[in-house]
Amino acid sequence: MSSSSGFLSALDSMKIMAESIGISNLSDDASRVLAEEVTFRLKLILQEANKFRGHSKRKKLIGCDIDNALKIKNIEPLYGFTSNDHIPFRFASGGGRELFFIDDKEVDLGEVISSTILPKLPQDLALKAHWLSIEGIQPAIPENPPPVSKDIQRQESIDPASALKQNPEELRTGHIELEKRKKHVEMVRVKQYATHELSVEQQLYYKEITEACVGSDEGRRSEALQSLTYDSGLHQMLPRLCTFILEGVKVNVVQNNLALLIYLMRMVKALLDNQTLYLEKYLHELIPTVITCIVSKQLCLRPDLDNHWALRDFASRLLAQICKNFNTSTNNIQTRITRLLSRALDNDKLPLSSQYGALSGLCELGPEVQRAFILKRLKAIGERIRVIMEGGGSSVEKSAAEHIKNLILRVLPATIKASRPPPDVLEDYRSEFGFLGSYLHTAVVRSRTAANPVTPQTTNQNLGTSHATFISQTTHTAGPRATINLSSQVSKSIQLPRTGYKVVRLVQPNQSAPSTVLRTPSNEIRYLQ
Amino acid sequence: MADYEKSDNKFISFSSNNLTSYKSEHEPRVYEEGYMNLYKFIDSSLDAYKYELYTLNYPVFVHMYLELVYNNHEDAAKKFMEKFGPHQEDFYQEDIKKLAIITKPSQMKESEIIDNFNNGQSRFTIRLSKDTFYYLKRYLQDSSKSTSIIQNVIQEHLSLDFYEGLTRNKQQVEASLGGMMGEAPRDANKVKVYVGLLKEPDINLSILDDDGDDAAVDPSGEGGEKPKKKKSKRDTLLSKRARNDPNAPPITRIPLPELRDAEKMDKIHRMREASKRLKLSSETLPSICFYTLLNANVNNNIAVLCIEISEDSALLSAGLSDSTIKVWSLTPNKLKTMKSAQELELIDREADDVLVRMMNEKSATDLKVLHGHSGPVYSLSFSPDRNLLLSCSEDSTIRLWSLQTWTNICCYKGHCFPVWDVVFSPHGYYFATCGHDRTARLWATDSHQPLRFFVGHFSDVDCIQFHPNSNYVASGSTDRTIRVWDVLTGQCVRYFTGHKAKIYTLLFTTCGRYLISAGEDKKILVWDLSHGYLIACLSGHTETIYTLAISRDGVMLASGGADDCIMLWDLAKLLDEADSEDMNMSQTPTVRTNTDKILLKTFKTKATNVISIHFTRRNLALAAGVLH
Repeated sequence: MSSSSGFLSALDSMKIMAESIGISNLSDDASRVLAEEVTFRLKLILQEANKFRGHSKRKKLIGCDIDNALKIKNIEPLYGFTSNDHIPFRFASGGGRELFFIDDKEVDLGEVISSTILPKLPQDLALKAHWLSIEGIQPAIPENPPPVSKDIQRQESIDPASALKQNPEELRTGHIELEKRKKHVEMVRVKQYATHELSVEQQLYYKEITEACVGSDEGRRSEALQSLTYDSGLHQMLPRLCTFILEGVKVNVVQNNLALLIYLMRMVKALLDNQTLYLEKYLHELIPTVITCIVSKQLCLRPDLDNHWALRDFASRLLAQICKNFNTSTNNIQTRITRLLSRALDNDKLPLSSQYGALSGLCELGPEVQRAFILKRLKAIGERIRVIMEGGGSSVEKSAAEHIKNLILRVLPATIKASRPPPDVLEDYRSEFGFLGSYLHTAVVRSRTAANPVTPQTTNQNLGTSHATFISQTTHTAGPRATINLSSQVSKSIQLPRTGYKVVRLVQPNQSAPSTVLRTPSNEIRYLQ
Repeated sequence: MADYEKSDNKFISFSSNNLTSYKSEHEPRVYEEGYMNLYKFIDSSLDAYKYELYTLNYPVFVHMYLELVYNNHEDAAKKFMEKFGPHQEDFYQEDIKKLAIITKPSQMKESEIIDNFNNGQSRFTIRLSKDTFYYLKRYLQDSSKSTSIIQNVIQEHLSLDFYEGLTRNKQQVEASLGGMMGEAPRDANKVKVYVGLLKEPDINLSILDDDGDDAAVDPSGEGGEKPKKKKSKRDTLLSKRARNDPNAPPITRIPLPELRDAEKMDKIHRMREASKRLKLSSETLPSICFYTLLNANVNNNIAVLCIEISEDSALLSAGLSDSTIKVWSLTPNKLKTMKSAQELELIDREADDVLVRMMNEKSATDLKVLHGHSGPVYSLSFSPDRNLLLSCSEDSTIRLWSLQTWTNICCYKGHCFPVWDVVFSPHGYYFATCGHDRTARLWATDSHQPLRFFVGHFSDVDCIQFHPNSNYVASGSTDRTIRVWDVLTGQCVRYFTGHKAKIYTLLFTTCGRYLISAGEDKKILVWDLSHGYLIACLSGHTETIYTLAISRDGVMLASGGADDCIMLWDLAKLLDEADSEDMNMSQTPTVRTNTDKILLKTFKTKATNVISIHFTRRNLALAAGVLH
């Protein structure tokens, strides 16, 4: 029978529950009868609980529903189970018994009362209005779902003619024209164009947004970027926006206009963050612009003064974000980008600023990439830096070398620490990493000593098996009144061990009034946890 | 026809029915064989009879199973359940699950569903045409051993309701299936129902008198309009309303409260608004303003269980799982508390702005919280004059709140289990409630005891609604049926089966003739009250439907639910079609299921379910839901 396995474990549970209230040696027959009865009752209660679920307009049954169902069956609810989280039942076995229990930390009430760090207040209920439809048309605002979902955008990008199919009127007229032509000129196939027009409003929006993004007013810019990040109806303007960014970067790199390049990168960031856009179609425009901003020889007019490093870092993060979001086994974006950047690193003639960019781009791609592509090149890079820092170099070159050094020392020690086993010998580092070896060595050693791993040791089994005995002991110490209370409750309802456990815990510090503690509302208990 | 009924009454005679009627000497294996034979017989019968006979499958199955259980054939019963249970209709599966739990005679007394199958008053009802009935009778009288057991079950436990006329086709039979206790017997829907609207009370004179005051009170700046023009316009409106509806109940059938001056003013205001409202049609859809409640789902400690918007669209109230009620103002007017009695005495009663002076300016807020219940609040209802709010809760009480003092002014105790729904009468004073105790009740605000009990549902009564003429109350239940009760007599005057799951919401059309219902089976059913028939079944939703609303001009129906979307339906078109069809009383009309032409548009929300929809006086739709 299908239910037999559940039934058997119920038999064991019956025995354990019986023991927990002091009845040992429950016979098999008795526990079978009890288990059958309990299963029947549980099913009845679940049926009632389902009604409460429905009226709470939920799809998921939760603890409160069971509480309410117990209440209408005139059974005292099980306090303490109203947690909204998943209740982590744990399993323990030992001495031929199997038990499910809840790992429950002991709470010292005194500590809670005197503690100054209180848990954060939950967020309050709030009412917010928006237009779902204006005269039958759903406005494309962040509160509404995107008018064209990502799937449809993808569909359109794969098969541009699909957009036409949605409009059967047009298609039909197209066919008529086709047929007309057929009469005159045979064997001519006319391929239809997917028209791509922007409404006047969209054109205005495009103008406003692009002006605000590269204009001088920071307030307007942040508003415009906000709109690019959260608005849902942008997909039609996406080709225009991408072209705008592409052309903008082309022009401003030549003119060394750092500020504008930063603004354009912030636009890219906003588009990347917009959840409703299907960007895959435009990556061929976006990736080159981003990489340009990372590795370009010169990005500003005064390379010794302006902080073009920040732009390179920012663009590197964008690149990493693109790789993370869009890399698939067919487009291999990440492989292609790492290959490109690591080849740049191999070039001796490469200006230091570009080298910094390539390094920072690779660093952002994560420890795997760092291990595979940077570590083996560190010696060569270090040598080049050393030459510049010790020997003569222009002040620009010197600051570039300094930045490269700092970048390496900021990012790589963690990777090295994870990949190398502990004994850190200075000589090994020197021979492997050259000039930078000693710096890396000190950094790795320092981080190793700083972190002392503490992994909490949990002892499942002890907690589990001591559980039942713990209850019986403490109920005795709590005085006769508490014992009566506890057992009457147990006999009245089908209880899992936890409630008893919980109550005992609360009774301990407050032995004089156990009965009032038993009635503590459930939410207070939750608060104490 | 009467003779005919009498002669066959022996066959469907009632016996005092309790558990002992399940006593039987039959061998357990006979059941399986008998049921199998019945199944085969039905399957091989003519298509004309087949679909009606199919309805026998489920009740016979249930009673055979219960007989097996009662006579201690536990294993045989389980086997019987396993073999035939899955073959029953989908909508019975939930009940079958409940039945399958019961495997011992001792458990039979505890179950709600068995209680229904057993008690003397109710039997599973099956409607058969005369032809089908005789066809079945011939089979049963064909005396072999395995039919005798079927015959026994049918005689003892079922009630066969046969009718003259053509046998119904497959679609017709399926449309009315689904009730926990079978279909509605034919004579359940025979009583005349006054579906018309009450004559509007004559406030013509007062309008003319109040005209000057009216303009002063209303600050919306219509001073520019010519008074003459205004008058004539209103007159036409009133004359249209004042026409006597032949189907309307006498105005004194139910004592209704007198209209107070403030209410008359409100009525005038409403009519003026009505003249400005947007005329909806399939071309002009309404605008929808959506109110989203944030931080109110399961992951927060408070969950919103119900939302109600007042008739004048000024207030939005929400009932929460933490036993409180929150009321927001949707207009710039803040919510103010009335001054205390001592302070009120000091006010000059003759002053023009006495109503303003009565209010405590310091107490003005956007949100008021009402504390009083000790369990989740499941439903709310504003009084028509907007001064009172009713709430019902899991703590089995109904509370009346004043929206002037923002306090609880009365607590109605009577239900003994959670109260699922409460609704004010459209004329005020009366209200109706329903709950887990399987009853619906009618109350008056000034009485602590219910005035009427509406008893008859076989399971929880989940939703309730007043007819616009206040003479009837409709209730929907977990037993998948709808009943319409007469407020005057307390009798059940309509009994509708056809829903395949729990019903969550009911709504009368503005004309009062049709009832619309929806629920867990994701379908919207439209019923004709005057003839007692199902006329349409609209499907489109993919999850439970929680709410329905009709535009003020009765043209458009909006529905919303757990599938996070609002659907707009062309109600006018649907009802026109139904009206034009020649209504033949003896014939069951066909049920319209073609949704494409009726469904106008679907509006999806991002991640918010739709708990409440409301049309303002100018036909702007307001909807509210909880972000999940």
